[in-house]
Amino acid sequence: MSRKASGLKAWAIQRLTAIYIGLFALYLVAVLLFAAPVDFVAWKEWIGGPLVSVMLLLFIVSVLMHAWIGVRDILIDYVHPIAIRASLLGLVAMALVGMGLWAAQALILVRMA
Amino acid sequence: MKFLVSRFNPESDTSPYMQEFEVEVVRGMMLRDALLEIKRHDESFAFRHSCGEGVCGSDGVNVNGTNKLACITPISELTEPVEVRPFPGRPIIRDLVVDMTQFYQQYRAVKPWLVRDDPMPEQEILQSPEERDKLDGLYECILCGCCSTACPSFWWNPEKFHGPQALLTAWRFLADSRDQATDERLDALEGPYKLFRCHTIMNCVDVCPKGLNPTKAIGHIKTLMLKNAV
Ligand code: SF4
Repeated sequence: MSRKASGLKAWAIQRLTAIYIGLFALYLVAVLLFAAPVDFVAWKEWIGGPLVSVMLLLFIVSVLMHAWIGVRDILIDYVHPIAIRASLLGLVAMALVGMGLWAAQALILVRMA
Repeated sequence: MKFLVSRFNPESDTSPYMQEFEVEVVRGMMLRDALLEIKRHDESFAFRHSCGEGVCGSDGVNVNGTNKLACITPISELTEPVEVRPFPGRPIIRDLVVDMTQFYQQYRAVKPWLVRDDPMPEQEILQSPEERDKLDGLYECILCGCCSTACPSFWWNPEKFHGPQALLTAWRFLADSRDQATDERLDALEGPYKLFRCHTIMNCVDVCPKGLNPTKAIGHIKTLMLKNAV
């Protein structure tokens, strides 16, 4: 993220991802309440479907970006020594990327299974 | 009525402490009157005040946990004991007197004046009544500092975050039809600090003795930025 982009862009992305996360969470709750997959095969079919896969992928990306901006905001607010802040940001970035890869792996596995 | 006021003398104290005073309350008494009464008991007690009617913005203090102007705060609205402290987050100079330098620096940083590229006209620059209406709720700010010193984002980053007062002022000039520096003003507010440390906590709206809404002004700035960016 460029220096110039780190204000408005982060703020706008935070809001957009929040909306998408909210909508997708509603959809998820609705499916689980009213049309929950009965067994593993049904679940696999639902979650591996092209539309749901894409929506889920978008959801994962949104959660990761939203988390990144939120944690970055907290660190900018409270952690002022630049070395400590940079290390913490690095750790958070690694953790988020790790989680993203893990989620991607799960998605790929379910599509192949 | 029992008052607990924060005392600090940099020459003899290492940290502020609360001192108790009994003040006889009369009808219609404002907090400023009580502070003056305390000063009559103890001449060394220091606090700022001037106009006594909520216009100069000098006597902002923290009363029972909330920033207020002492001169327009009726004693009858306060619960006993009344705890009076200096503005939170500011370096204390003495008793209730704090150092507001950073607050004024942030105000100055938003260029609180009209910027014109066009040559100045012979007469005043005209404005329609609608254009003038846009400045209502903005120009009334008296720079008392109640808002910015109640803002957690300003507590954590007072050197870099403009704070609600300066951002309200920034919007006051962005919203002014006579100002011609919209792009420069918006560019100057970019980055993670000056504007975007605001997390819509809204303490500023809560405490403003003039009933102004810095959070709304900040929202307007963000919307305008977004509009200009896409
Ligand atoms: S916006 Fe309100 S609280 Fe803030 S400095 Fe101006 S008058 Fe005081």
